[in-house]
Amino acid sequence: MTPVLTNLMRPMPFLADVEDSFWFPKQASSFASEVDWVYDFILYICVAFFVPMMAFMLWTMIKYTKKKGEKAESQVTHNTPLELAWSIGPSVLLVWMFVQGSISYLDMRTPPEGSYDVGVTAFKWGWTMDYGAGTFHPELHIVKDEPTKLSMRSTDVIHSLYIPAFRAKKDIVPGRYNYMWFKPTVASEKVSDEELAKAKKQSEGSDGWDYDKYQFTPDGYTFFDLYCAEYCGTNHSQMQTVVVVHETQEELQAWIKANSSRPEDQTPAEWGQLLYNRRGCSGCHSNDGSKLVGPSFKELYGSTHALAAGSDITVTDNYIRESIIDPKAKVVAGYQPVMPSYKGQLSDDDIASIIAYLQSLSSNVAEPAAAAAE
Amino acid sequence: MSTSTISRDPGYPTDRENYLTNSSGILSWMFTLDHKRIGLMYLIGVMTAFAVGGLLALGIRLHLLDPEGWMFTGAEANNIYNQVFTLHGAIMVFLFIIPSVPAALGNFLVPVMLGAKDVAFPRLNLSSFYLWCFGAIFFVSALFSSGLDTGWTFYTPYSTTTDTSVILATLGAFILGFSSIFTGLNFIVTINTMRPPGMTWFKMPLFLWATYATSIIQVLATPVLGITLLLLIAERTMHVGIFDPEFNGDPVTYQHFFWFYSHPAVYIMILPAFGIISELISVHSHKHIFGYRFIAYSSIAIALLGFLVWGHHMFTSGMSSLTTIIFSALTFTVSVPSAIKVFNWLATMYKGSISLTTPMCYAISFIFLFTIGGLTGLFLGTLATDLHLHDTYFVVAHFHYVMVGGTLIAFLGGVFHWWPKMVGKMYNESHGRIASLLVFLGFNGTFLPQFVLGSRGMPRRYATYDPEFAFLHQMSTYGALLLGCGLLYAFIVLMLSLAKGRRAPANPWGGATLEWACTSPPPYYNFERPPVVGDPYDFHNIEWDAKEEKYISTEPERKLVPEETPGQVPAHH
Amino acid sequence: MATIDSLSSESETHDEHGHDHDHPAWLAHHFDTPEQQFDSGKLGIWLFLVTEVLFFSGMFCAYAMFRMLRPEVFEGCSQFLNTKLGAINTGVLLFSSLTMAWAVRCAQTEEYKKLVVMIASTLSCAMVFLGVKSIEYSHKWGMGLLPPGSYFYDEANPHPTAQQIVDQHGFSESAAYFLTHSLYFLCAPFLILLIGVAIWAVYSKVTDKQFQYACAKPLLVVCLSFFGGVGLGMILESGGGEHAVAHVDGEHAGDHGDADHAHADHSHDAPAEVAATHAVPAFDIESDDAAIELLAESELNTGARAMLEAKQAQAEMATGQIVAAGVEADLGIHRIEQDVQTKRQAGVFFGIYYCMTGVHAIHILGGIGVLVWLLIRSIRQDFNRQYFGPVDYVGLYWHLVDLIWIYLFPLLYLIR
Repeated sequence: MTPVLTNLMRPMPFLADVEDSFWFPKQASSFASEVDWVYDFILYICVAFFVPMMAFMLWTMIKYTKKKGEKAESQVTHNTPLELAWSIGPSVLLVWMFVQGSISYLDMRTPPEGSYDVGVTAFKWGWTMDYGAGTFHPELHIVKDEPTKLSMRSTDVIHSLYIPAFRAKKDIVPGRYNYMWFKPTVASEKVSDEELAKAKKQSEGSDGWDYDKYQFTPDGYTFFDLYCAEYCGTNHSQMQTVVVVHETQEELQAWIKANSSRPEDQTPAEWGQLLYNRRGCSGCHSNDGSKLVGPSFKELYGSTHALAAGSDITVTDNYIRESIIDPKAKVVAGYQPVMPSYKGQLSDDDIASIIAYLQSLSSNVAEPAAAAAE
Repeated sequence: MSTSTISRDPGYPTDRENYLTNSSGILSWMFTLDHKRIGLMYLIGVMTAFAVGGLLALGIRLHLLDPEGWMFTGAEANNIYNQVFTLHGAIMVFLFIIPSVPAALGNFLVPVMLGAKDVAFPRLNLSSFYLWCFGAIFFVSALFSSGLDTGWTFYTPYSTTTDTSVILATLGAFILGFSSIFTGLNFIVTINTMRPPGMTWFKMPLFLWATYATSIIQVLATPVLGITLLLLIAERTMHVGIFDPEFNGDPVTYQHFFWFYSHPAVYIMILPAFGIISELISVHSHKHIFGYRFIAYSSIAIALLGFLVWGHHMFTSGMSSLTTIIFSALTFTVSVPSAIKVFNWLATMYKGSISLTTPMCYAISFIFLFTIGGLTGLFLGTLATDLHLHDTYFVVAHFHYVMVGGTLIAFLGGVFHWWPKMVGKMYNESHGRIASLLVFLGFNGTFLPQFVLGSRGMPRRYATYDPEFAFLHQMSTYGALLLGCGLLYAFIVLMLSLAKGRRAPANPWGGATLEWACTSPPPYYNFERPPVVGDPYDFHNIEWDAKEEKYISTEPERKLVPEETPGQVPAHH
Repeated sequence: MATIDSLSSESETHDEHGHDHDHPAWLAHHFDTPEQQFDSGKLGIWLFLVTEVLFFSGMFCAYAMFRMLRPEVFEGCSQFLNTKLGAINTGVLLFSSLTMAWAVRCAQTEEYKKLVVMIASTLSCAMVFLGVKSIEYSHKWGMGLLPPGSYFYDEANPHPTAQQIVDQHGFSESAAYFLTHSLYFLCAPFLILLIGVAIWAVYSKVTDKQFQYACAKPLLVVCLSFFGGVGLGMILESGGGEHAVAHVDGEHAGDHGDADHAHADHSHDAPAEVAATHAVPAFDIESDDAAIELLAESELNTGARAMLEAKQAQAEMATGQIVAAGVEADLGIHRIEQDVQTKRQAGVFFGIYYCMTGVHAIHILGGIGVLVWLLIRSIRQDFNRQYFGPVDYVGLYWHLVDLIWIYLFPLLYLIR
């Protein structure tokens, strides 16, 4: 858009919201103040119309309520100039709303050159952010004041990425790439180490991290909510993750490095469990034996199942590996072939770790080894 | 003036004339071709559907009492919630709102207001009622087989992959679509060819204008829904690859197809409500409607513009920027005719002689609620704010203000207004007014908090939610309970009137349209001969008879136009 | 007259309302004059036709969109449709429109015998149309030219046996049996109908029921004409059938610019077949990581990508590489040709083809239903110069169904 126009339309300070208002969550991106300003202005216009109209209605209602049978004071049928005036008059305001909304919209649609690019994969019911170089993580980590572009795709149904604090939303349609961008303006804060340690201790034993309870991430950052806004099935309401805004690029790189692969001090089974929670396996595969969309991981390793195609399969290392890379090749009877492929998204070590985790959940680990030896 | 003319009042119908009693037995209702009986059956049908949909709505609200879900528990809680909101939406839209005013009230009123004996195609009319029943059966069977969890919009690819009974439900919607088409077709033909002598287009009651505009949309938009649902069924059964990306289809195409019907469908829902309100405000203010032509034209304008704005449901789905902006601009144009109507209604009340009857109470709450609904639409039409508000509770609140605060309130107002005409009994006025107040308060209690929820970022269709939204959700739930009580109260008032109500006079409110010129309830043939009509909003000759508590017409008898002898002129020239 | 009479008397006479001798039986009680009734019906049927047009418009839109997105698929696949059969059906429908229009005229002039003949010949044409259509359908089903969910066409073996369909394409045995014997399934209902009508005709003749016999006689002819259509289709599909297959192969060969087309077919079929039989991954392009990256960078979605491909293909065609025989087939075209043969590509064409022609065929069936009703009424001599509305309305509907076919035929069969 022409900068002159956008400058003219800059949010006027007296209209802008205080940071945390009645109507809105915190303003945390460059769009937020603009959107809020447009919103407020429309709100004022609406109030300016609504209140006098309703006052007039109440007044007529009180003033002209009469006994039955009394004749009306006037039987005027129309007044064309008046009617034309109230038809055309408000249209000017509508035009303003349209123009203002479209200008802001074009800003929000056009990512600046050289934005920081994050790949997003949405699936039922979780998110995987691709930070490049084989690093995947469900949380979205970005840098303050750095324009960030998300290249999003879905592996199953339509999802929609929505960050209320950024006032940004975009559908993710399977079969095509959709893009969105924003510039965060508020960085996440780091909570104190004691608080983090306390929370970590509390959450031990339970699987997964309760973001709602602690209001910070396992790394100790406060966050902004990220929702799926397009209905996508059973756990649509749990398809949430968080956005962490780092102060500097270095901080982000450090975080990426820490999450890129299995740390030295972690066993494969532990890392496998982390991946199980982090990469969305837990959405469809339980680890306590209950049947979800896919087979439970409990006692899965080494067990034998009938396939949808007819034959039997024993769950071995190879079958697990194949099922991760080409999930639809051998589907166990009674389940739908709906799992997306993780080909290229998990390193060999990752897959080995997941196998180790499955082994740790099963009591018959030795058998498939024997079967393989035969 | 009144001394020089005779006062006219049709009196009361005999049992042999009364359309309710002139023939008896269940078969006389099942195979009736009488539009009034069909309208009444529709009324019972849509009210049943509304009760089911309303109970589902209460289920939704009760579930959201707690962030983790209160009503439904266990492993299937989310699935149950998803099915409940889907069925709530589908039943309310397809089984209740769309047929509510046109099919139930419209069927009863259109021929009577026209002074005709019946609609143009009575058999088609009956068949559209039975199609409605079949559609309802399909929905119920979907409910009892494996439910439906796609949302009422049936978006692909979710609807092509879920294992719930999408096919039953879409077949149901397909059949209901045809029911709606036939009703609309019938009304267009009836209004075009069966107007009585003297009723020019601009002497038609505004309810007929609204019905006419609605029928145009029904006839033009619903077939597209039909083919869309048919293709969806084909996609699910044979994978034809039009909507499913798995087979090279495009989900956004589905959205375009779907909203090309479903946005005009919004106007199928609201336009007849406008018609009712125009009647109600004018009759109960005993004043000529202000700006008849503007109201009439704005109905047609809405009907036509309504076809051009479907894209505003898809601002976030990745259409090109240009398309998005064009749809935004078109969307704003629709708001103008709606605003015109509200201004005209206010001007009609000004300097009138208002009777605060129950229907008038509903009409006034309609103006209040619909104005909120309309104004909040501006936030959603504006692109910048829509990106934030799309698919949040703000949208939910907005369309409930239009659909419930608008259509449902108008429907209730219309039912209370024409109830004496339909059943021949008066209800208790003061109880009726209290019920309308409860409905008004309960409705605002339910949906006002949802605007704030939405702008604070609460996405819709969530079975569980973040704890920070709990307070507003709870407010909304308590409002819904109050709304439920109010609706139940209103229902009881109507039912009690059947048992204990005073016998209704022909013209209890002082209306000047034709339906008030025949007895309450009307005879099965409506009018013995085509009546001659003047201005439907001319109240000069309507006088209140305090002794009998009814209005009578003091207008001198009009001259009859000589009838053409049938059978002499060939149909084909 | 009638209404005024009943008016002036007291309410007791209301029962006779509408049964007056001045109000003819064919004039519904709520209409005042025959014109009003006729005009109402006419407006009604026109509005109904509007809804029909809009109903089909959804599918025409789908057609236009997918043709725009994937023109190469439409080109590659429309050659599987037998133009001769399509042309015959077009002719048959056009002729039936003529007889229908004639029928309306006969109703107006009260020429009852001719009216029956005209309606019966319209019906026969409809039946011939369906007969030919069932040949077309069953032929394609046997070859596996189906919507993407079940598409299994294999150029090396275009007419697989039921066993092959089960073994190679994972169909259930009953489905495979249906696919290979679909003609019998399509003909069965009509055969039952034919037998039923024949029995009826004989019975009514024997028991000397004049009216019933008068109805059964033309209906027998109508039912027979379905098999006439089947026979006609069979002759063209099998006589020309081999020719058609050879023709298709020839075209393919021409496309590849390869003289030894049998060999070429076999060699490049293998990957296509693999693609067709394998479970299709969510993203066709995911095997090609480079393509994904390219997409991510160039801000194009798959639809746009297909368009790009299509443009390339068109550009290549414009340079004459595809049509010019003897030119070495380059890899690009080869790849596109393969793409066309896969389930996800060709299937979409056939998905749209079956939706459009199928819904049209359902309309033909509906038309047959109302025409039979008209036939019986015209044998009963219900119509006269003042009351011929039903014939006129059905005529309008029939012309619309015809018109839609006039559009479908070039869009699906002719434009390549």
